[in-house]
Amino acid sequence: MAINPPEATRAPLVEGERTLQSGAAGAPLRQSNLWMDAWRRYVRNKAAVFAGSVFILLVLYCVLWPIFSPYDPYAVDFAQKSQSPSFAHPFGTDQFGRDLFTRAALGGRVSMLIGFGATLAILLIGVAYGSISGFVGGRLDNAMMRVLDTLYGLPYLPFAIIILAIFGDASLWTLMVALSVASWFTSARIVRGQIITLKENDYIRAAKAVGARWFRVLGRHLLPNTLGVLIIAIFLELPGVILGEAFLSFIGLGISPPEASWGQMANDGRTVYRTSPHIIAVPSILIATLILCANFIADGLRDALDPRTRET
Amino acid sequence: MALLEVTDLRTHFFTREGVVHAVDGVSFAVERGKTLGIVGESGCGKSVLALSIMGLIPRPPAKIVSGSVVFDGSDLVRLREKELEDLRGREIAMIFQDPMTSLNPTLTIGTQITETIRRHYDVSKQDARKKAIELMEEVQIPRAAERLDDYPHRFSGGMRQRVMIAIALSCDPKLLIADEPTTALDVTVQAAVLDLLDDLRHQHDMAMIIITHDMGVVAEAADDILVMYAGQVVEQAQVLELFDHPEHPYTEALLSALPQIEGEGIRSGRLTAIPGRPPDLIHPPEACRFASRCPYANANDTCATVMPELREVRPGHQVRSAHPASERAGSVVGSEVPA
Repeated sequence: MAINPPEATRAPLVEGERTLQSGAAGAPLRQSNLWMDAWRRYVRNKAAVFAGSVFILLVLYCVLWPIFSPYDPYAVDFAQKSQSPSFAHPFGTDQFGRDLFTRAALGGRVSMLIGFGATLAILLIGVAYGSISGFVGGRLDNAMMRVLDTLYGLPYLPFAIIILAIFGDASLWTLMVALSVASWFTSARIVRGQIITLKENDYIRAAKAVGARWFRVLGRHLLPNTLGVLIIAIFLELPGVILGEAFLSFIGLGISPPEASWGQMANDGRTVYRTSPHIIAVPSILIATLILCANFIADGLRDALDPRTRET
Repeated sequence: MALLEVTDLRTHFFTREGVVHAVDGVSFAVERGKTLGIVGESGCGKSVLALSIMGLIPRPPAKIVSGSVVFDGSDLVRLREKELEDLRGREIAMIFQDPMTSLNPTLTIGTQITETIRRHYDVSKQDARKKAIELMEEVQIPRAAERLDDYPHRFSGGMRQRVMIAIALSCDPKLLIADEPTTALDVTVQAAVLDLLDDLRHQHDMAMIIITHDMGVVAEAADDILVMYAGQVVEQAQVLELFDHPEHPYTEALLSALPQIEGEGIRSGRLTAIPGRPPDLIHPPEACRFASRCPYANANDTCATVMPELREVRPGHQVRSAHPASERAGSVVGSEVPA
């Protein structure tokens, strides 16, 4: 465990005496904290670093490429239709002659936005529900957990479909709601478990012993200590949500054309998969890459932020 | 009037197995500026007693079922949680047993000290910081100003306990409760921390309650001693009186279980253990709770059926036993007692 910096970098302290060994008084102390240590552990995991780099590249590509692209992602040009990947069109073109490299970036924006938005919503609901339940404890906790047990019975995708049907249209916002409404249960449980464990810590009692009020105890001492788990949870939830969005778009319940999302693009390619397999392959590979990266990042983060789980 | 007067305090834990009588009718008083030592073995209710005074017992399962804790004129048991919160840290402060876990690992030492100050006083961040540095110097942490922004993991156990003391002292409380303040520390550090606590108590003119299972600790620091057994007070006296003339068989046993450098029993090379175990606190016996382990109790004594009351055998010396040392026929200890 690398929590403590090497002894040599510390100035020797003489416990129980007023004096410090002279000469060592000016020795510089190397600052280190939880996040720096976590970063050091993370970069040691090569797979996680690689996944993280690919992830960042993918995000940059989606955010930046549509700005610089020479092609209009919506301009239909049947002269260019269904071209295989070439130098001019790295991912080829779809059956309407639109540049897939540009559209994939645009679709990625939507997919990631919905993915991150829904994940954030999941975490917010989960943190609120879980922390109240765990912090208050007793009967309320019991009641809230039984409610959660019942809600767990809701199947996630059918529920999302029903929500979309109720809203009647599929926009960025309704998709986020649909995807988060039935998937925050696990994160609520994670947060509750963490809060209950942390609540028993001596420093919580110590904080109460100096008069800290409940919101201070919760906001200052409990929630920040769940941050590590929450960051891991983001990358654990993300693949499911992105896949959910892709699925909804694929079955035609997602973002409406000509707007693009990866699922939507895969749906476009579905009809012509025999003649132009690259049209369905491009968004599928992108979805798979993103999900794979998120999983590796989650893995690396877990090892970095919670080193006890990996005693090898 | 005494600063703290605890009267017939009963804290029970309502568990599935039954009601645990953790603190069962404890009464005592702490005068201003004095130190009270509470001793007893693990599980005798010392810590629950301290937490009951602070109002920090885990509710549920614990509950104060009766009694009063009058601090500076107000009964803490009847105060609302809000008023109690304002009191904690400012009027009564507490130090816990394990300094390694009593500080939040994600906040710097400075933040944790200034937070307490700013919780109770309306001061600016800069002023709170200045005060924090003064406090750290007061508890003899070297290079206080530099170490203020360090995280707890960079401090040793002894240093962390000093930080805890600094936090406890930050609002000049009238009463400091130290729950086994030195148990988790090395022996050499223990002495230093105890000395520091005693110095600070004098300087700040605080009253102090030291809870420990170490007779040596109370001998050094306390003015009065309270011996607890199975949730009850079994003996109470001034420190020298108690060490010189212990009355309760349990206190005697505790003292003879101490390693000694000189005196009888030194030759045998072994420490005297107390046979048996403390009673089950879910179904405490009607009789004297020490009866089953008491070398002086007989089956046909009254103490085998009726609980002895706490009574004064000498001025200021109370004991709960049918067989106090001074009343034992022909006992060596009893004959030593001056008339």
